[in-house]
Amino acid sequence: MSQAHAATLSEAFSTTGIPSNKLGMWLFLASEVMFFTGLIAAYVVLRMSNPAWPGPEGHLSAAIGTFNTLILLCSSYTIVMAYDAVLNDHQRRARGFLIATILLGCSFLGIKGYEYAAKFSHGITPGTDVFWSCYFALTGFHALHVLGGIIANLWVFSLALRRRLPPSRGYLVELAGLYWHFVDIVWLFLFPLLYVIEPLLQRLT
Amino acid sequence: MTEAHVSPAKYLWIWVWLAGLMLVGVALSAVPLPKTAIIFLIVLLSTIKATLVALYYMHLKSDKQALVLVAVFPLVLIGLAVLVILSSRLVRL
Repeated sequence: MSQAHAATLSEAFSTTGIPSNKLGMWLFLASEVMFFTGLIAAYVVLRMSNPAWPGPEGHLSAAIGTFNTLILLCSSYTIVMAYDAVLNDHQRRARGFLIATILLGCSFLGIKGYEYAAKFSHGITPGTDVFWSCYFALTGFHALHVLGGIIANLWVFSLALRRRLPPSRGYLVELAGLYWHFVDIVWLFLFPLLYVIEPLLQRLT
Repeated sequence: MTEAHVSPAKYLWIWVWLAGLMLVGVALSAVPLPKTAIIFLIVLLSTIKATLVALYYMHLKSDKQALVLVAVFPLVLIGLAVLVILSSRLVRL
């Protein structure tokens, strides 16, 4: 694809005056918001219906959850910096920030995998009780979304490696970044819900 | 393509706020307040953090109003969902 063609695609506007690709991404994110809203609402309804919420067979480590949240926040920073670098044609910086985002995302998944392995080793599975079903469903779907984001970021990084990410194609980093920030926002609600509020309710009940 | 109107320094400051608010939320669980108040504050902090990410990292602050409407509309639906969930506690069928 020639750069002129790519620039034309990037500037394809809908009748709203918004680039079509950006509008399409936001519409997709809006649908994903409803997806996670349904999951979280189901958790809240189940929790409100079960004052004697099960869970003494295991607990979630707030320290690990906090560290993982910091990792995701850092990755949001690095991908927005990658976008800024591409717009200003700082190719080396862009590649650096993109690979940092990918590595941070992989770290998040690695820590999540460690948590899952620890639960499985103690005999805690999605079928153990309602809380653990919800926990594995919420965090499992989120982890799948993180994996999807990593794959998208890897593709953008491959373009950067092949010197095919000039400022005119910065919209590709922006689109990948929009999805990545959404994944981060979802975790900003999941983390306090599961790692902070739930132990608090267990302690005070 | 939207131009980024936020400086790198501001991106870093936003990250500092996000990390700080996150730690405040964790610390809140140890504060001797009624649990309803703590839960409300923690959810409020999450909403503030999400807003910061949306406005500055996702550049909604400098985007067209139509895009902001697309981004905000799901929140209206979420509000309706929350009303339905809470109302089910008031009306026991």
